[in-house]
Amino acid sequence: MSYSEENTKTLERLSEAIGEENLVETKSPKANRIYVLIKTEKLRDAVTYLKEKEGLFHLATITGVDLGEEREINYHLNRPNLIFTIKVRVPSEKPVVPSITDIIPGAVLYEREVNDLIGVYPEGHPNPKRLLMTEEWPEGIYPLLKKWDVKSLRKAIDGEEWT
Amino acid sequence: MGLVTWARTRSPWLIHFNGAACNACDIEIVAVLTPRFDVERFGGVLKGSPRHADVLVVSGSVSRKLKSRLKRIYEQMPEPKFVVAVGSCANTGGTFQDCYNVMEGVDKVIPVNAHVIGCPPKPEAILDGVVKLLKSAGY
Amino acid sequence: MSDREFQIPIGPQHPALKEPASFLFTVDGEVVVDVEPRIGYNHRGIEKAMEARTYIQNLYLTERVCGICSNAHQTLFSINVEDVAGIQIPPRAKYLRTLVHELERIHSHLLWVGVAAHEIGFDTLFYYVWRDREIVLDILEEISGNRVNYAWNTIGGVRRDISSDKIPKFQKMLDTLAERTAYYTKVASTESSVLERAAGVGYCSKADMIRLCGSGPHARASGVNKDTRRDNTYLAYDEVPFNVITYDSGDVLANVLVRVGELVESVGIAKYVLDHLPDGPIREKFTPLQRVPEGEATNMVEAQRGELIHYISSKGDNKPYRYKIRAPTLGNIPSLIVKLKGGFIADIPIVLAGIDPCFSCTDRMVFVDEVKEKTWDMTNEELRNYGLRWYKNGFNK
Repeated sequence: MSYSEENTKTLERLSEAIGEENLVETKSPKANRIYVLIKTEKLRDAVTYLKEKEGLFHLATITGVDLGEEREINYHLNRPNLIFTIKVRVPSEKPVVPSITDIIPGAVLYEREVNDLIGVYPEGHPNPKRLLMTEEWPEGIYPLLKKWDVKSLRKAIDGEEWT
Repeated sequence: MGLVTWARTRSPWLIHFNGAACNACDIEIVAVLTPRFDVERFGGVLKGSPRHADVLVVSGSVSRKLKSRLKRIYEQMPEPKFVVAVGSCANTGGTFQDCYNVMEGVDKVIPVNAHVIGCPPKPEAILDGVVKLLKSAGY
Repeated sequence: MSDREFQIPIGPQHPALKEPASFLFTVDGEVVVDVEPRIGYNHRGIEKAMEARTYIQNLYLTERVCGICSNAHQTLFSINVEDVAGIQIPPRAKYLRTLVHELERIHSHLLWVGVAAHEIGFDTLFYYVWRDREIVLDILEEISGNRVNYAWNTIGGVRRDISSDKIPKFQKMLDTLAERTAYYTKVASTESSVLERAAGVGYCSKADMIRLCGSGPHARASGVNKDTRRDNTYLAYDEVPFNVITYDSGDVLANVLVRVGELVESVGIAKYVLDHLPDGPIREKFTPLQRVPEGEATNMVEAQRGELIHYISSKGDNKPYRYKIRAPTLGNIPSLIVKLKGGFIADIPIVLAGIDPCFSCTDRMVFVDEVKEKTWDMTNEELRNYGLRWYKNGFNK
C-alpha cells in the first residue's frame, strides 16, 4: 500500500474511533499532510488513539494561533511519510485546554511555551510555570496575541515609551 | 610608557559575554583563538571569570533577562576595563530592532569603547577591533 | 523539595562558545538527584517580528535564529512558503540547497567535536578540529561570500550559482576533509582520555527517548532510528544515497560516534551532489511584495541538532499571519534531564555538551544539596576544572 493510502486509512480509523461527529473539519493539501479540527473534549481520546494504534507517538511541537474570538492549538504528530496535525479551538474568554503530558510526556515544555505566548492554560499539567519570560514580566501579557504590537508591548512591560 | 602599562597592553585578557546572540558572532569570536587567526600572538587569552579580565567582548542583542547579568559582570571587572561590542546586534540591535524582548545595543546597558560591525564580523575584524582599542587607549 | 534546600546562583561565562541558560540541580553529595531547566535567556521575540515583515524580509530574519544552523532555518522557511504558494523549485536549486545544508552540517559537527574535546580537557583536539573546520568555511565562503550566514536561499530557489570550473577544487578540499575525519573517528573511539570521560556517562534508554520525543543525533545515540532526511524526505534526499548512523549505548560516547559518523556521511553526500548537479535555472520568480494565497503548511528538516519543524499560517497577505519555529534543542531537553539525573556533578559539562545544545551555555548553575544542607555556586570554568580534577584523581573508580 502506498503511503497516501495508508494515511487516508489512518484518518478513517480515527473518525471511527472518536466518532465522526467530533471531526469538525479535515484538510489534506498533500498526501503526507493531514490537518483535522476536532472538538476539544475529544482531544485526549484522539491523541491516545493515534499514539497507540497508528504509530503517531512522536509529538514534534504544539503551536498556538490567535484567531481573535478563538485560539487555535495545533498538535503536530509525525511518523515516516506523514505529519498529522490535530487542531482544537478554545474560546478567548476561557482559554483552557486539557493537558496531554500523561499521554505523551514529551509535550511538557511545549504546553508551557504555548501558555507563555498565547495564554492558553494546559489543565492538568504537572508544572505549568513560565518558561520563557523573565521574572519581571507582568502577568496576563501574552506577547503573541494580535492585540499587541511591539510598541504597545514594550510600553506595557517597561511602563514607558522607548526612544 | 611604564612597566605596568607595557605589560597590560601586551597581554589583554578577554572575557566573552553572550547577550542572547544567535551564535554567529560567538563562533567567530572563538575562531579568533584558533590557529588560523590566533589571538595568542597578541597576548590575548579568553578567560572564564570577569575578575581576571581586561576586555569584555559582548555579542548579541541583549535580551531583557540578561540585562542585569551584563551589568553585574561589567561591575565585577577590575579597572582599567574596556568593552568591545561585536556584531551589528550588539551595536544597534541589528536585525532584531523591532523585537519586544531586546535592548537595542549594548551601549544602552554599559559604556562601550569599541564597535565592531558585521553580521557576523570576520575574525580578522574582531582582532583588529581589539588591537585598535588597546592602541587608542593611550598605550 | 524539602525546606532544607537552598540555592545559590552561579557566575558567568564559559570560555568556549556557549549560550546562556540555567539549570537548577538538586544534589545529594556528588550525585545529581533532580534537574530543572530555566531557559528563555535567548528569547528575542522573533515569531512576533516575523508577522510584521514581508516574506523576503523574513528570509533575513530566519537565518539569524541561530548562527550555526542558520541555513537550516532559512531553507525550511523557504520550503514552507513555497508549499503554501504552490511554487515548485527547479532541480538544480534542490541540489544546491542540499549542498549547503550538508556543508553546514559538517561545519557544525566539527565545531561540536572541538567544543566537546575542550570540555573533556582535550584542548589539542579542539585546536586541530577547528583548524580543519576552516576548510569547510573556505568552501562556503567561496560559494556564498560569507563564512557564517550565507544568504543562500530565496523563495523559489537559491540566489547564487556555482560555476562548474570550481567543482574539482571543492572535491579536492572535501577529500582532505574526509581524510581528517577518518583520523578523528579513530581518536574518538580509541583514545583513553575520551573513553574515560564519555563511556557510560549520561545514559538515556531508547524507550525513554521515544517517550520524551527526542530527535537528531541525540536520539540516534540511544538507538532510535529516526532521520527526517529519510523519513519525511525533502530537497534532493530521495535521490542521494546515504546511511543513517545509530548507536545503542545511549551515552556521551555514542553521541560522539554518531556525530563523527554523520560527518563522514555528510562529506559523502556533498561530494555526490557536486558530481551530479543537474543543469538548469536556479530560481523561480517571486517578487518582494508578492502575496501568498491563504493556507497553512507544516514542514520539517533534519537540522544539525535534530528535527526542526516550522509551521506557517497565511491569510492571503504578503506577511505571514503566524509563523512558528520549534528548534530541536527544546525537544531534547526532557531526555537531557534523564541523562543528567543519577550522574555525578563532574559529568555535567560533558553531558550538556553531548546533546549539542543550541542554547548552549549555562550561565548559572545552581546546586542544592538536600542532605548536607549546603549550597554553593560555581562558575562554569570552575565546574569544568572540577570535572577534570575529579577524573584525574580517579574519584570515579
